[in-house]
Amino acid sequence: MDEKDLEKREPASASPPTSIPPPLTAEQVFREFGGRVYHLARRMLGSDADAEDVTQDVLLQVVRKLDTFRGEASLGTWLHRITVNAALAHRRKKAYRDEHLVRDPLENFLENGAHGAPIHQWSDQPDEQVLEEETQELIEQAITRLPESYRDIFVLADVEQLPNPEIASILGLSVSAVKSRLHRARLLMRDALAPHFEEITA
Amino acid sequence: MTCRELVELLIDFVGDELPAERRRIVEEHLGCCAPCHVYVQTYRATIKLTRRLPRTAPPPPQLLERLRAALKVMPAPKPPPPGGCFA
Repeated sequence: MDEKDLEKREPASASPPTSIPPPLTAEQVFREFGGRVYHLARRMLGSDADAEDVTQDVLLQVVRKLDTFRGEASLGTWLHRITVNAALAHRRKKAYRDEHLVRDPLENFLENGAHGAPIHQWSDQPDEQVLEEETQELIEQAITRLPESYRDIFVLADVEQLPNPEIASILGLSVSAVKSRLHRARLLMRDALAPHFEEITA
Repeated sequence: MTCRELVELLIDFVGDELPAERRRIVEEHLGCCAPCHVYVQTYRATIKLTRRLPRTAPPPPQLLERLRAALKVMPAPKPPPPGGCFA
């Protein structure tokens, strides 16, 4: 590239300074995103130590590429993808599988298609935005007990609330595969939570 | 429609993705099947409760320390080549 080319290019000062956000510092990345990344990794991997390892991996990756991001918005959407990939890679590295077999919840029906067990009402849950600690712990534990392929999708869909097509893209699955696994994950979660929430009728 | 068939469709039913005719059949079944009626309520409740889980919280303090320490020993990023990245 020679001098003439440089002169033809729009000088950076032509854009108003306020439209270019200042680059994030490493400390800002740690504080702003550390919690989110940690929580997602923790739910996928089920262990504090594993979650810390993955969080370190991810945040240092981000810090190495800080000049690539124009402000927090573009970084946020990328973070889900790299956190999930880092967690999956961590599992592969550790080479332990938690793909324990569970009975397909759709098998819990009689020959004639009726429910295989009585279905009880749940008592009214308080409607406040923040869950009671006990309830939260219950749900977290139930999530950890899901087989991994169901757990990942359940966490991304119902905890992180990503749309199914995005989950499909991140995990390399079809949308229908995502939906099928998500549905089964929800049925398993429902079954796991039911004993705790069912109304005790006299 | 059997109870099992209804449960198989539930994700689309609660997600409003069932074609109108299927939806009608599901609602008809729910109108006269108490177990399914409750089942659907508890399926919805499961989703609702899960959505209230916090997605973030302050990271464990030792993690921040660990990150800062790791940052100190990280190799410095390579400076851009002379003339800029498009040379």
